[in-house]
Amino acid sequence: MAEESTIHEPVQEPLSPPHNSRRETLALVVGVAGWLVPGLGHALMKMWGRAVICFLTVGVLVWVGAGMRGNLFTSRGNDAFDSLGYIADLGTGGFYWVARSLETNGPDVSHADGDYGTRFLATAGVFNLLAALHAYEAARGRKT
Amino acid sequence: MTSPKLAVSALAALIAVKLTHLQALVLFALVISVAFGFLGRRQPKERIKYILWTLLLFLLVGVGIGWAMYPFSR
Repeated sequence: MAEESTIHEPVQEPLSPPHNSRRETLALVVGVAGWLVPGLGHALMKMWGRAVICFLTVGVLVWVGAGMRGNLFTSRGNDAFDSLGYIADLGTGGFYWVARSLETNGPDVSHADGDYGTRFLATAGVFNLLAALHAYEAARGRKT
Repeated sequence: MTSPKLAVSALAALIAVKLTHLQALVLFALVISVAFGFLGRRQPKERIKYILWTLLLFLLVGVGIGWAMYPFSR
């Protein structure tokens, strides 16, 4: 069995603990940056195409959601669904406050437009969380 | 009308989006398909295939669910 291992490609040495923890910290910073500013996590990893797409996707979804007067949930929710909606909306990071400032007339879910807008805003948040997680995993070297 | 109120209503008019059901569906499907394509695939050819396939499925499932709900609409 020992001879068999000699014909294989040399196995990469595992990273030493200090290096590993530094990489973990960096990955965490990348993940948080990607959450706060959509696309920034990928930009820090020099994944420019993905960075631009993340920024534009979240930006368009927030703009359309706010433009359709979707409901932007706050921390003062009445039930579990409001709280879940708040978590989803908060996923947009800094764009949450952009959406709040864009919705000058407040939400209007009495029409289908407002209801769709609520979904657009929630999707923007959930997508941004997914993108931030992707950037975090890429920084850890587990995704390309 | 005071100027802050004017600015607020101008901003509201500027960002106001009016879409039909189908337009909202297509826009949503297109934006999410492109985003998923870029996140999930690395090669340009694979990305395009993935984007088109996801877009098609989004539209088919969306329109399909719409028709499935039709008998209960009234």
